[in-house]
Amino acid sequence: MAFAPMGPEASFFEVLDQHRASLLAALRRGGGEPAGRGTRLASSSEVLGSIESVIQGIITSVARNEAPAFTIDNRSSWENIKFEDSVGLQMASHCTTRKIKSDSLKSVKKFALILKILSMIYKLVQSNTYATKRDIYYTDSQLFGNQTVVDNIINDISCMLKMPRISLHILSTSKGLIAGNLRYLEEDGTRVHCTCGSTAVAVPSNIQGIRNLITDAKFLLIVEKDATFQRLLDDSFCNRMSPCIMVTGKGVPDLNTRLLVKKLWDTFHIPVFALVDADPHGIEIMCIYKYGSLAMSFEAHNLTVPAIRWLGLLPSDIKRLNIPRDTLIPLTKQDQMKLESVLKRPYVTCQPFWRKEMEIMADSKLKAEIQALTFLSSDYLSRVYLPNKLKFGGWI
Amino acid sequence: MEGSAVAVCEILKYLIIHWKCETAGTSKGALLEGQLVISMEALNSKHQENTLHCVTTIASAGSIYGGLVLKKFLKEIQSLLPGFSAKLNWTSEEASYSQDISGVTPFQMIFEVDEKPRTLMTDSLVIKNFLHKIVMVHPKIKFNFSVKVNGVLSVEVFGKPKFATAELLCSRIHPVLGHPVMLFIPDDMVGMGLLGELTLTPAAALCPCPEVFPNQLNRISSVSIFLYGPSGLPLILPGQEQPTTTVFKDTSYFIDWKKYHLCMVPSLDLNLDRDLLLPDVSYQVESSVGDQSQNMDSQGQTLLLFLFVDFHSRFPVQQTELWRVHTLLTTHLSAILMESHSAVQDSIQVAMDQALEQHHQATKDLQKFQASLSVAVNSIMSIVTGSTSNSFRKICLQALQAVDTQEFGTKLHKSFHDITRHRSLPYCSCETKQQLLPEENAEENTEDVQENSLELLAGTSGQVENKRLQQGLEETRAFLSARGPSQSEAAACRTKPTAASLTPSGSRASPGGDLEDSLWQREVSNLSEWLNPGPEP
Repeated sequence: MAFAPMGPEASFFEVLDQHRASLLAALRRGGGEPAGRGTRLASSSEVLGSIESVIQGIITSVARNEAPAFTIDNRSSWENIKFEDSVGLQMASHCTTRKIKSDSLKSVKKFALILKILSMIYKLVQSNTYATKRDIYYTDSQLFGNQTVVDNIINDISCMLKMPRISLHILSTSKGLIAGNLRYLEEDGTRVHCTCGSTAVAVPSNIQGIRNLITDAKFLLIVEKDATFQRLLDDSFCNRMSPCIMVTGKGVPDLNTRLLVKKLWDTFHIPVFALVDADPHGIEIMCIYKYGSLAMSFEAHNLTVPAIRWLGLLPSDIKRLNIPRDTLIPLTKQDQMKLESVLKRPYVTCQPFWRKEMEIMADSKLKAEIQALTFLSSDYLSRVYLPNKLKFGGWI
Repeated sequence: MEGSAVAVCEILKYLIIHWKCETAGTSKGALLEGQLVISMEALNSKHQENTLHCVTTIASAGSIYGGLVLKKFLKEIQSLLPGFSAKLNWTSEEASYSQDISGVTPFQMIFEVDEKPRTLMTDSLVIKNFLHKIVMVHPKIKFNFSVKVNGVLSVEVFGKPKFATAELLCSRIHPVLGHPVMLFIPDDMVGMGLLGELTLTPAAALCPCPEVFPNQLNRISSVSIFLYGPSGLPLILPGQEQPTTTVFKDTSYFIDWKKYHLCMVPSLDLNLDRDLLLPDVSYQVESSVGDQSQNMDSQGQTLLLFLFVDFHSRFPVQQTELWRVHTLLTTHLSAILMESHSAVQDSIQVAMDQALEQHHQATKDLQKFQASLSVAVNSIMSIVTGSTSNSFRKICLQALQAVDTQEFGTKLHKSFHDITRHRSLPYCSCETKQQLLPEENAEENTEDVQENSLELLAGTSGQVENKRLQQGLEETRAFLSARGPSQSEAAACRTKPTAASLTPSGSRASPGGDLEDSLWQREVSNLSEWLNPGPEP
């Protein structure tokens, strides 16, 4: 691939290459990627048939003089979640459900809104057009009330029909950014060439549609915050560490950013690292990329990358690097509750090093942002911290 | 007004008070149970033109009037009816049998009067009205009331429990109690020798229950006020001069209607001929402003207000004292209520607030429901009409037996509303279980109180509203029954108001409802014969 060789010498990536080899070996031992057992891409006719089947069920109930109801999996209940090391958090096969009844004052509105959005999806699929969740909300904002209602119903429908959102012709608005050694073609044929310069490319809306991905990146770095991502861009990190790819979800990642990370892993199997703040929120964001979220557990197979490693900022780095104490922030009550919550999650048990880092944080009752490294020097992060971590395998 | 009606009503009141006092010591909290037969038999007078000679008989079944001193009874009754011309006769040993009267007992009294047919008709209606009001509070007292005019008989039974299979619609009202308040006696009445205290407990409810017309937005169109005295007896008779209700002429004396965006005026359209159950005071909504939903085409709801005045004493209450209280209230209620204006106003307002709050909430909930169902139906229609799958459309149309999508849409809309109108409302604990026995009052939880023993489904005649009034009022007697029976149980019986509707469970249909309608219609159809008496058949 004709990228200008601006990065370090080949020996720099020895440990990384070894890591990659071990990841590939683990994959081979595990029998390759598990087949997508959750949602799967569906054709238009399958989607339409599915919706018609739902409507038929409702009309049959009505004809029998019974009040129709939807039966929805309790997506957001921990009791319906199981953990698998190779996949992450996913919905249990026999999970509890709840009924959205049409003859109950509490649920009649949701019953109606589910039908409303189903009818909109039906039209989108029929006309082969797409809409974002935001678009759907704005078709009748007064009826829906707020965006969260729309988002939840769309997820419920996706879970109920066992079809990913993209198959329902609903796009999520991407807020993520990509930079580095990556080229691809979007579904409409647009060529995208991510650069190593100071500008980044927006994560596309239709990840399933992108093809012809090309890279020779040695690693993919997921950056929690946009501020850190921009800082790295400004410091020409992608050039200095070339070939590499950087992605940010600007906080809690949207679906497309997660899908892109997953797609890059599935396509290239290059090491994926997370650079997050040394605080409970950052750790949780990293866990979302790696193991998935409660809300989207029904789509875990399409979204999680269990191979992600925690590169930094580690709580143990704080002491190791003698980061000044006055740059550290005490954990708030919410931080402590979140930390306790993360420590109780099923996936932490198979990550003893992560657990240890979180316990260091819990004991010190202090947290640190990545920006704390600037107190050592302004470009410490891009010139010293990250290169050393990558060269010497400082990830867990 | 002096006539048979007043005589009958006063006699019944006297008997019931006596009965209450006799049973107060033995069975506290129990409902009075028994049967009374009232018959009026009229024939064309041989001595006067256009006049009927009417023989009225009041008889009881069983020995419920043990202890009644007959001479004293006759003397006292006669003194209560100074303007009554007829002589009261008592026949306790021999029975005057009539094949039309069932349950004739040793206790029987008779009086005879000559009166015009129109007067007899009015008397009959007044008595029926009075009996209706009594059985709402005393559902276990059964009245057999028969009127025979020149051989044409009509019989009506009041108070008989009727049981039938469950209806899905709620046939009841859900009264909300206000807190009991003590009534002060005006200074000029202190010397009347009351050895106890008077309390007032209001109860408010909407009629019909919003569940009856769940798909309609109902406005408040009228207010009906019913006044009850001790022993659960109606305080006034329709058609009487009403010093008792003077205080209610000012519609806002006790109730701030502006709070509910209502403007009330006294209703003068009270027709005993038309209304089976005439309220003691009636208001009409003149106009309503504000955010109350208005659907002028829909059936209006009536706001019912029951005012129960009771008498409590530390000493065992004698019958004479109870009677004196009743008489006092009949003539001085306005003055008594005005003396305690502030307390009465607060108590009534609390009950009204709660009853109307439910109405407002019901209206809002109904709007929400209708809006949501509309969205659901339209969404389904959008998919069905937009589908290119012939088989799918065919299956949908066949399921609702529609020939085209337009008919499908209409049927779908109707089906949804039919199915979902039996939804449970958060404020209405109407149940649809089939029940054949009266249930206990969950609120009072008194063993001897049997709830819902007289649940009747509203008829479909033009007297729908009044029928529901009647049924709903049966509910309120549950609140009285635990309080009223023993006058010495004052404190224990003062139930606390609850925000929730004090709705007993169960609702039943009644085949008797139709029977009552047909009897009423037959009676009305006899009126023309009364007004124009022809030769005897």
